[in-house]
Amino acid sequence: MSTVKINGKEVTVKDGTLILDAARDAGFEIPTFCYQADLMGVGSCRMCLVEIEGQKKLQPSCITPVLHGMSIHTETPTVMSARASMLEFLLANHALDCPVCDKGGECELQDMVYKYGPHKGRHAEPKFKFQEKDYVLSPVIIKNSNRCVQCMKCVRVCGEVVGANVLGALGRGDHQEETSFLRSFLDCDQDGNCIEVCPVGCFMRLPYRYKTRPWDLKGKDTVCPYCATGCRMVIEERDGIVIRAKAQLGVGLNSETLCARGRFGFDFINSPERLTKPLVKRFGTLEPASWEEALGVIKDNFIAAGKNIGGIASARLTDEELYLFQKLFRSMLGSPNIDSSARWAPEAVEGFIKATGMDEGGASAFDCMESDTVLITGTHLSDENPVTDYIVRRISAGRAMNLVIASPRAMKLDSSASQIVRHNAAAEGHLLDAVTLSVYGGNVDKLRDVPGINRIKDARQDDLAGKAGCSADDIKAIARKLTGEGSVGLFAGTEFLRYPGSIPGLALLKNALKALGKKVTIIPVLDRANQRGAWEMGVHPGFGPGYSPVKERGMGCADMLEAASSGELQALYVVQSDIVAMHPDENFVRGALSGLKFLVVQDCFMSETARLANVVLPASSFAEKDGILTNQEGRAQIIRKLLPPPVKAKRDIDIIRAVGETFDRSFGPKNPVLVLDEIRKEVGMYGEVSLAFNNKRNVDNKLDLKEALVKPAGLAEGLNASGLETKLEPKTDEHPFLLATGNHLFHSGRLSRKSPTLIGLLKNAIVEISAEDASALGLMNGDKVRIKGRYYEAYATLHTRSGSKGGVAFIAENYDDVPVNRFFRRGEGVPRVSITKA
Amino acid sequence: MEKILLKNLGRPGFHTIDSCLVNGGYNGLTEAFKHAPESIIQMVKDSGLRGRGGAGFPTGLKWSFIPKDPTIQKYLCCNADEGEPGTFKDRGIMENDPHLLIEGMIIASYAIGASVSYIYIRGEFVFGTRRLEAAIKEAYEKGFLGKNILGSGFSHDMYIHRGFGAYICGEETALLESIEGYRGQPRKKPPFPALSGLYGKPTVINNVETLACVPAIIEKGPKWFSSIGPEKSPGPKIFCVSGHVKKPGLYELPLGTTMRDLIFDHCGGMLNEGRGLKAVIPGGVSAPMLNAHELDTPLDFDSLAAKGSMLGSGAVVVMDESTCMVKTALIINRFFSHESCGKCTPCRDGTPWLTNILKRIEYGNGRPGDVELLESLCTNIFGRTFCPLGDGAVMALRGALKNFRDEFQHHIDHKRCMVS
Ligand SMILES: Cc1cc2nc3c(=O)[nH]c(=O)nc-3n(C[C@H](O)[C@H](O)[C@H](O)COP(=O)(O)O)c2cc1C
Ligand code: SF4
Ligand code: SF4
Ligand code: SF4
Ligand code: SF4
Ligand code: FES
Repeated sequence: MSTVKINGKEVTVKDGTLILDAARDAGFEIPTFCYQADLMGVGSCRMCLVEIEGQKKLQPSCITPVLHGMSIHTETPTVMSARASMLEFLLANHALDCPVCDKGGECELQDMVYKYGPHKGRHAEPKFKFQEKDYVLSPVIIKNSNRCVQCMKCVRVCGEVVGANVLGALGRGDHQEETSFLRSFLDCDQDGNCIEVCPVGCFMRLPYRYKTRPWDLKGKDTVCPYCATGCRMVIEERDGIVIRAKAQLGVGLNSETLCARGRFGFDFINSPERLTKPLVKRFGTLEPASWEEALGVIKDNFIAAGKNIGGIASARLTDEELYLFQKLFRSMLGSPNIDSSARWAPEAVEGFIKATGMDEGGASAFDCMESDTVLITGTHLSDENPVTDYIVRRISAGRAMNLVIASPRAMKLDSSASQIVRHNAAAEGHLLDAVTLSVYGGNVDKLRDVPGINRIKDARQDDLAGKAGCSADDIKAIARKLTGEGSVGLFAGTEFLRYPGSIPGLALLKNALKALGKKVTIIPVLDRANQRGAWEMGVHPGFGPGYSPVKERGMGCADMLEAASSGELQALYVVQSDIVAMHPDENFVRGALSGLKFLVVQDCFMSETARLANVVLPASSFAEKDGILTNQEGRAQIIRKLLPPPVKAKRDIDIIRAVGETFDRSFGPKNPVLVLDEIRKEVGMYGEVSLAFNNKRNVDNKLDLKEALVKPAGLAEGLNASGLETKLEPKTDEHPFLLATGNHLFHSGRLSRKSPTLIGLLKNAIVEISAEDASALGLMNGDKVRIKGRYYEAYATLHTRSGSKGGVAFIAENYDDVPVNRFFRRGEGVPRVSITKA
Repeated sequence: MEKILLKNLGRPGFHTIDSCLVNGGYNGLTEAFKHAPESIIQMVKDSGLRGRGGAGFPTGLKWSFIPKDPTIQKYLCCNADEGEPGTFKDRGIMENDPHLLIEGMIIASYAIGASVSYIYIRGEFVFGTRRLEAAIKEAYEKGFLGKNILGSGFSHDMYIHRGFGAYICGEETALLESIEGYRGQPRKKPPFPALSGLYGKPTVINNVETLACVPAIIEKGPKWFSSIGPEKSPGPKIFCVSGHVKKPGLYELPLGTTMRDLIFDHCGGMLNEGRGLKAVIPGGVSAPMLNAHELDTPLDFDSLAAKGSMLGSGAVVVMDESTCMVKTALIINRFFSHESCGKCTPCRDGTPWLTNILKRIEYGNGRPGDVELLESLCTNIFGRTFCPLGDGAVMALRGALKNFRDEFQHHIDHKRCMVS
């Protein structure tokens, strides 16, 4: 600890604390442009100069650490005049076109000049102009360099945090311009973090351009509705139209960053395609109806179906909605058949929950990154959970640690890894088994009794490595890192759910490391904003809220569809889930749904599933409701209502309750606040969870509010994780590529398809294979290709990725022009396809 | 005085390794290998050698900051960027006696344990680059570079890295950025290069002339070196004289030679007998000018510092009475604003502003209060920039304003020049 005096006030801070941080914590304001806590310090703008007794020159407080005994002054006349003079210099060549600048009103330069002067200009020369007109850098970025204060934050965030590294500076001196390479159009991650960090109106949102002034916007705190990273953001509206989503420095685990989906994908809310009134099918066509009529039809049909009814709710709904949904089924309709995913098998979910220890309570990604060795497996993290990728990149760059990335497809984050392992697609289990076997080899005594070890202990290392498709050296190197000094962190993604045969491998590795006395922190990496919440609210056929055991095990999505085909299940209530588009084997789903007597779909859009419904109920987006979402770490976070639902649409919680009330007027609780109270009472994990959610920097907890993590459930004995297997179609010469799927960087499920901006970034399907495979086939990046499986063929644009494992073709699940689930056939393995030039 | 650094100047053909060896080249290296690296550093410390790149930092001390751990990769970088206007001494050494530099670099590398060194050479020095390339090749062939040099067990590789025309790349940390392939902009210090320099490894950066002094120190001993010139700034020094003198050029003289002796004894006096000396820049354009009354100042680090100027690179620019100081200030300032790297606010946006004001004064558009404005901007820049380049711009301008304020005021008041 060092004790220093700041403006006469004595403070004691950790050694190495920056003067700036010490002063701010002590309550003294110091203006900055180039400083940003999560970027490496550069000390270039000179706004933060302070006086240190005994030093002739003023010192930049943002890169100067305190030294014990220092006496620092932050408000002397010299310091104040230095600040004013820096601003004068910045204004010397500044465009000063505030009246037409999108940043006007929330510009850091404006604010600082107002506060620290100078209030009179002395610069009389013509100003240097980079260009006459703003120029478009990408579908979402427009640039005006004449307003730049040269803080380099745009360049630094793009390199240090996003890892795209596509920005730099041209020219030198006062001709220095931060932009793309020779101002060329950017083919980048399009996340707009460069825009967010820009203190002035240089980097600007193209979709937002000239739409409003910041003071005309009304905003609300919320959480991004796409992946389960759980980025906190503010959405803002004007005249009932949501115009902007922004992240805030120091707020939420994402701080000032978002990915393209979060920052630009909110505009589906404003879509003219939103459903605005209930529809009831009459003589084969869906026609507008009143809520009373629609609810009446639902009641009659639900009564007719009796217990032969099921429900599927989206993992994007709030915890309150999901809780009430399961309550509706379990205690009102008397049916155990509920699920929150059209994609994952219930046993796989249970196995995954157990293997990742979700029932043991939340774990923070920051804690996981404190581990000495971190292994990322079963996720293409850079594309699936972009901001988690940023967090890993930023933290791993700042400390000595091992970062191992195991994935068939190359990813942006590879450049941060200390070891990259390319294994066969769907072979995560073999890889982890091989690693565990290698660990076992050196620790037979300690690991003899680890449950599950018998499954592999007699296996042959070459065999497992061969199945995984990697070298024995790779395996040994991972094992060495995991068993070396210190703790272990794992990021385990949705591939485990997609290929359930891998889950026992994950569980076994965790158990083996724990048996060696290691601290193991696991973050499940999930792709739907509230997937974890949906499970913890008990929207699953095998367990109730808080992973509690259920009296009667129900049917999951696939079983319900099967039962519908056979006529056993009569009615299905689907909330915001597009099972036709998402369940592997579209034809099977269509057939099954047509076997139902009655289908209700509650959604914001006329989804493929909604088209088949007997009743369609207009639902709400995340912007139109209050509630909480639980992210992948188990962090409960509030979303707040910004707008009323459009026209006659209703909040999902009100619709679910209204359905219940048709059976029993007392069904409830009646509003989200009361539902949350009930959750806190009934679900131990959520009893004490803190929902402190504010718009201010969370100084004490930095970005990581631990009290927001859910508590251990302590009840998971009921989880049934049997029969986990991965089936693959056998490889043939005719179909050499295994078909992998997941989300594209710009999309998430099908919801993002309703965002005009995200569609502007990527509309039509692309298929990705490794660059080596492509050149062997004589194909080039950008070629139009035909993808042919046994049951379906389609055309898409080829994207090649160098460094990926061969033999894998990736098509995201997001495209309506190439629905990837059509390649799948129920009961058969993961399909294989051929790729040829179209 | 026996010439050490410029002994080959004006002796065509003497740059090759054969003639170099005949004349005692690489004797210093042979001698060096008889000593432990530690004692080489001690010898350089004892010699009192101070850096010739501008700042005059004690060279032995700089070397001693390098961690001794043999498992850590270390580098030596020779600063041959020679960007300071008026300076052409490093060029003189590299073109005429490349092996002297190479020998000095090998000894320095041996002393600090660097297995690799770089010569960062100014891009315009095409001829010098060719000479050095040829010389490095010769040195490899004779076994002075490469594996196990002269059976000493010490191995070393040397590379040339050409600059691309930025003055700032002569600043040691910008030089490192440039070698690494990034934009030439200074790095923040600490960490200092001795701990984290090139590619994050301990690195010594020395000027060409500094390194060229090393072989003689080893061969003739530190005492011999420290006996030349003043006690605190010993050794031979190359002065690059340009401007209104009869014989401009390179002069190797002991430090402490007075300005008067340099101009009137060695350089043959003023170019035009009828015109007196008006001012002289003693150490490159960042060094504030001396006036005619200050000619007895000895040219060494401390004496010039005492006069508020500096020895800098040893570039002496002599100006006679016909020189307009406003124009001079403008030319110098324009250089700095053009070369400002753009990193920090006061230099990036302040120096071009100074240039603009000087321009309007020079072209007869000066406004009342412009001198005060210049002074105020100087205050706002000085001591607040990220690296010394911005300070250099201010020091030069302040020197002109201090000595010739009336000339600036005349330009403003009369919209014409005072001298022509
Ligand atoms: C703007 C600027 C330009 C410089 N240019 C040079 C140069 O061209 N050559 C040089 O040797 N040193 C130059 N220096 C000094 C170097 O930063 C460094 O101090 C020197 O190379 C150290 O070598 P020495 O200890 O041998 O003098 C420059 C410094 C600054 C601030
Ligand atoms: S949008 Fe993201 S990737 Fe693209 S330039 Fe900006 S920061 Fe870089
Ligand atoms: S464009 Fe914005 S973020 Fe980038 S350097 Fe300029 S002011 Fe800073
Ligand atoms: S999609 Fe995921 S990573 Fe991107 S902003 Fe939303 S929550 Fe964050
Ligand atoms: S003073 Fe600043 S702008 Fe000028 S060269 Fe140094 S770092 Fe660059
Ligand atoms: S904030 Fe410290 S120099 Fe920019």
